[in-house]
Amino acid sequence: MIQARGITRTYQTHGSFTGDRTVRALRGVDFTLPDGGAVSFIGESGCGKTTLGKILTGLETFDGGELVVDGVELSKLRPRQREKYFRRIQMIHQDPYSALNPTRTVEATLGDPLRMRAREKAAAGEQAGSWRERAAELLTLVGLEPTAVLPKYPHQLSGGQRQRVVIARALTVDPTVLIADEAVSMIDVSMRLGILSLLRDLRARLGISLVFITHDVATARYVGDGGELHVIYRGEVVERGLTDEVILSPVHPYTQCLLSAVPVMRGLEEPGPDRTAPTAALDERTPTPGCLFQPRCPFAGAQCAEKHPVLVPFGLDAAGQGEAAAAEDGSGHVHACFYPESRRVVGVEVGAASA
Amino acid sequence: MSEVEVRDLTVEYQTSVGWLPAVAGASLDLRAGQITGLVGESGSGKSTLALSLLNAVPAPGRIAGGTIEVAGVGDLTRLGGKQLRKARGGAIGYVFQASQNSLNPLKTIGRQLLDLGRSHEVGDLRALIARAKDLANRMGLDGDRVLDSYQHELSGGMRQRVGIVFALVLNAKVLILDEPTTALDMLSQASVLDIVRKVHDENQLSTLIITHDIGAISEIADRLAVMYGGRIVEDGPLLDVLRRPTHPYTKALIGATARITGDVDGARALPGRPPDLTTVARAGCVFRDRCPFAVEVCAQTEPELETFESGRRRACHVEPSTVLTGPVLTGTTGTPAAVGEPA
Amino acid sequence: MAATATLAASVRSRRPALTAFRKAVTRKPGRIIGLAIIVFFVLLAICGPWFYGRLAVDPNSLYAAPSAKHWLGTDFAGSDVLQEVVTGARYVLATAALSALFTSLFGVTIGLVAGYQRGLTDSALMRLTDFVLTIPGLPLLIILSTVWNFGSPWKMGLILGVTGWGGVARAVRSQALSLRERGFLEAARGLGLSRRHILLKEMLPNVAPYAAMQLMLSMIAFIGAEVGLFFLGLVPFSSTNWGVMLNQAVFSGGAMETPSALIYLLAPLVCILVLTLGIVLFLDAIDELFNPRLRERV
Repeated sequence: MIQARGITRTYQTHGSFTGDRTVRALRGVDFTLPDGGAVSFIGESGCGKTTLGKILTGLETFDGGELVVDGVELSKLRPRQREKYFRRIQMIHQDPYSALNPTRTVEATLGDPLRMRAREKAAAGEQAGSWRERAAELLTLVGLEPTAVLPKYPHQLSGGQRQRVVIARALTVDPTVLIADEAVSMIDVSMRLGILSLLRDLRARLGISLVFITHDVATARYVGDGGELHVIYRGEVVERGLTDEVILSPVHPYTQCLLSAVPVMRGLEEPGPDRTAPTAALDERTPTPGCLFQPRCPFAGAQCAEKHPVLVPFGLDAAGQGEAAAAEDGSGHVHACFYPESRRVVGVEVGAASA
Repeated sequence: MSEVEVRDLTVEYQTSVGWLPAVAGASLDLRAGQITGLVGESGSGKSTLALSLLNAVPAPGRIAGGTIEVAGVGDLTRLGGKQLRKARGGAIGYVFQASQNSLNPLKTIGRQLLDLGRSHEVGDLRALIARAKDLANRMGLDGDRVLDSYQHELSGGMRQRVGIVFALVLNAKVLILDEPTTALDMLSQASVLDIVRKVHDENQLSTLIITHDIGAISEIADRLAVMYGGRIVEDGPLLDVLRRPTHPYTKALIGATARITGDVDGARALPGRPPDLTTVARAGCVFRDRCPFAVEVCAQTEPELETFESGRRRACHVEPSTVLTGPVLTGTTGTPAAVGEPA
Repeated sequence: MAATATLAASVRSRRPALTAFRKAVTRKPGRIIGLAIIVFFVLLAICGPWFYGRLAVDPNSLYAAPSAKHWLGTDFAGSDVLQEVVTGARYVLATAALSALFTSLFGVTIGLVAGYQRGLTDSALMRLTDFVLTIPGLPLLIILSTVWNFGSPWKMGLILGVTGWGGVARAVRSQALSLRERGFLEAARGLGLSRRHILLKEMLPNVAPYAAMQLMLSMIAFIGAEVGLFFLGLVPFSSTNWGVMLNQAVFSGGAMETPSALIYLLAPLVCILVLTLGIVLFLDAIDELFNPRLRERV
């Protein structure tokens, strides 16, 4: 189980023309990932979701908050001691083209971590089978033919096949959590579902939990049931709830904009009646003392420019009374908006529209 | 009326085993005032087809046969030198794949625009700049600011729009966009698609959008052409094709798209991998080894792209009704995807 | 049928490095010529002196024209020019190879470690590199020559190598820095693979073509440098080599004035030119040797 409590990450950039600037990549992100569970993060590029993925795999440090893995608070550990925990959390990279070493065959790519793992197991007195068998087993698990794939170099594989190899490599060290950062966005649309259902399968069969990071809300639907969806904007979670619930009845205007942007497959779907779009482009330079989304929000009201909204359960009054409730109980459908309103922005299947 | 008529176009690439066709006998019309979507997986030959509309197939490729009639220009495959250069940009505006990165990082956008004008011998450069600003403004950009910017000062979506400005500033009537939304996030994609539709309508263009994302294209296109293994396997009015796909590949492609509505478990990824130049079947139907409907004849004769009802064409031996009512491709989960080249 | 195809494919891509080498070299005729030239000179350097033994001097024929006995004529002392060219090759090639070896060893190791470790290690290694880059190699050699005898190629190679790795280290480091951001290195760190593994197995093959290219180019530079040193007469002659020959031809033989010493001047010059040409022609194949994608291009 992984628990994140108020993770923050701030970068100082030293621009030669623009002067020094502070970029708050993450502004206090909380989430809980139960064993075998799934959590999705959606947001546009530059919202901090990649930083979050890197923090979770130990490639990046956090400067505030706490990350708890299986009850151990990681910030209390020395970097060396942390490695053991981060090893159980493996990343599946966005770009399957750069995620595999072009000079090494699939066999070499899988062989090294497997042999390392076998040595560790042997040292611990556990039974360690042949690494070759394990490599074949893992490739079969991810839907590849071992004899055909093992001797190949990455460039001899298609994007989808590479991503499967990347997943197999992540599985070599027996992780309990996979972080999929835009794992399908660089793969042909026709191959995406295969990767998504593989991730879903790994959850079901191996009990591996999944953090799914994407800008494409539709793909988040396919990674598993019961998962929570976090909508992240400029490093802050602005809406959270069960995936289906957030998609079907989004409350926060930013979520509604994201969902409206999902292309409607005309002929099979009708556009949602309340479809909307941000009123301006993302601009992180202008200070926003109130709601971060206020400058782009199509529904901004009087309070939005002045006060910063916090996450409150949907249905409660956003301004004051809700705060306590949200802090105590993080579950359920919550949002950070002063004027929450459920809108029908998502496309509707033709035929289902009348129902 | 068609602005561009492609007939029997064959484009070949030289490989170690001889000349192989990347596009084989493709016929396609870009109708005036319509947005045509050309959909296919990577390696289907869609980008090659698009590049040949500029007669700009890169070496070691060549247009081996067929004609490309462009209204007011003539057969593009016969043009060369100055005439061809005038046609590119002047008659056909092209927005390149990853055009987010195709701008010169060392020059401002305005300077690059002037270079374009000079190379096309535009007399009135002021008018050119004015038109570019106007185009940029109508696409929701600040024209003055953009022209004074360097590439790195613009976001991915903005660069894509700048690419469209470049393609249209010389008053091209045909606009070709190669993968305009790849590498953009959903919000930028939506706004770029929106802008393409708007620019298309305002300038009464004939637009061709090349993409692997059938979902994105279905949002704005009027017509849809589906490409596989260098062949156009189905085309027709978009709504009709999406509702009633009559080629097994089209049907599978629609079924394999992650969608925000519908049954999660009903969706199925395409099994196997798309063929490339060297692995595409030499005889018979190019899709047959991934096709759930394949019959004996599919291995022997290649189906022709034929009109089977008004405005719709398909290249398949199986009856349209069989495809329509039959199953989508069978699932992939757990089943090892075929990796070896089809023998 | 599909099984045989995949089997064939797996056999094909598992072919030994030798086959890959052969394929890469034979792809273009220029590469074959380049390799042939290099092999020729290497054989010349290794085996050549055996055929001649000690330098035979024929005092009766100074500056003799080419003849059946002396194919390239003789020099001022009556030595056979061909014999001198052949025996001189050993010193030149040995020095170049040794200095290139030192260069790549230091340059690649330091560049890789600095690029991967970053931080303090990087700063320290790069300051060291800067220091080495500022050592003026030529004056150092001249000064050292008063103390050392450069008769054996070892010392010359060592000095040239030790003062010459700075450029390679900088180049490899910049490659390593960009590699570090690639997904597969992040993954290797995430998997907990050892630093040794990451440096040797993940990064080295990726910088290898680059390093090899630098190596070949630095060999050309080293050949030029050592021959130049001898030509200028800055280092005392203690063995036969091309540089000494050039020096003798110009300064004692008067090759600039008398045509009789022309061959004596041209012989080592042509050797240097042809060897350089061989290296340059072969350089073309290096990318394909190391890059599996280029190797199997259709």
